Amino acid sequence: MIRVGPIPRLRRVLPHRWGRAGLVALLVLVLEWSRALVAMQPGLTVGALILGGVALAAVAAGWPAERLGLGTSRFGIRLLGGLALGAVLLLPAAVRAGAAPLLPAGLAVAAVAVSIGEELAFRGALYAALEDAGGARLAIVGTTLLWTLAHALSHPAEFLPAVAAAGLLLALWRWACKDLVAPILGHVIADLAL
Amino acid sequence: MKKLALLAVAVIGYSIAAWAVAPGFYDGFGPPQAYNFTCPPPQAGANNKPTSGHLDIKVIDGVSDANSAFTDDGQLVIGFLPGAFEAGARTTVSVDIRPLDTCPQPPGIRLVTNVYLVTANALLKPDKRANLVLRYSNLEPDPATVYQASDPAGPWTAMRSQPGQPFTIETTTTTFGYFAAGYSSSSPAPGAVTVGGGQLLPIVVAVLIVIVVLAGLPLAIMRRRSSSEKDS
Repeated sequence: MIRVGPIPRLRRVLPHRWGRAGLVALLVLVLEWSRALVAMQPGLTVGALILGGVALAAVAAGWPAERLGLGTSRFGIRLLGGLALGAVLLLPAAVRAGAAPLLPAGLAVAAVAVSIGEELAFRGALYAALEDAGGARLAIVGTTLLWTLAHALSHPAEFLPAVAAAGLLLALWRWACKDLVAPILGHVIADLAL
Repeated sequence: MKKLALLAVAVIGYSIAAWAVAPGFYDGFGPPQAYNFTCPPPQAGANNKPTSGHLDIKVIDGVSDANSAFTDDGQLVIGFLPGAFEAGARTTVSVDIRPLDTCPQPPGIRLVTNVYLVTANALLKPDKRANLVLRYSNLEPDPATVYQASDPAGPWTAMRSQPGQPFTIETTTTTFGYFAAGYSSSSPAPGAVTVGGGQLLPIVVAVLIVIVVLAGLPLAIMRRRSSSEKDS
């Protein structure tokens, strides 16, 4: 029996894990940018958001639910966490804006699709791939950076710090609670309400 | 405990960052850039003043070139076909776009964009309609119509309009004057949801907080009981 020490094992496994993480990162980024560019075309906004959401969700296909943070244990607490995250995400706007206009009803389905797709892609598959490659710290920082970069085409530069802060909050939740249900629910609530 | 502290720091960081920008930045539903308001609504946050625009269109043998005039912030674009102007002996036609310093709200109309004055030193030919595009903000209800007036005090005339690219509305015109987009205030804003007197967002957040607190307390008590039972 050949014994493999930690360093040779790391060398053997690392390229594969880094390659997978890089591939997932590239795929997610390309999908988000494509979605943003198509959504800018007249009449294509809703379709681009829905199809983009589905395509992003497909990135998570093949990952075990537990690795994505989609376990069903303590489901009530996960749901409650989602409501709490939704409240946190909306609170600054609610305090300052008061009567901020709501998302038109026609975009609601698109909002749900893209919220779920983004969470499955970023805090789900990408987080898991980066965690496999370099640990939780890389997963948190990496998903936050890519999340921000992915929104660079669809958002003005002055919005990106808030986008990054939201991404960091959701990634930290994913790490701290090993849960993706709450980020999905919080993200859906935030997108629907704004 | 460390995880909780990091989450708390992230919540504070997010709140500060989100406070600094206008609401509605989540998933590309917002316009590609913030709208520059003459009279910003309270939720607009930091606001730049809208800009003006100027264009000199070449005239060759009495025929003006095709060209587009736009404000520097791109909030109004007006495009002209070749030979659109009654140029006469001119060698250039000048087009100016200037945002009005005030925000008139004519009776029966709710204007949601700035009012822009578009002028030129030549008239448009009636058969060469200029295409006018107005961008609007996601912080106001979507406009249904572009309105035109020869004086900001009115009367304002509704023009045949259609949605353009996201957060834009288009129309065509053969005359210059004041332009703005809005909707008839006698009907609800297009796509608007009016619940709780238009204060739905604070209500949503309040309900979420109440649910979290009300459901969280029994959950916390149950967890404490189960852990104390395990200890004993």
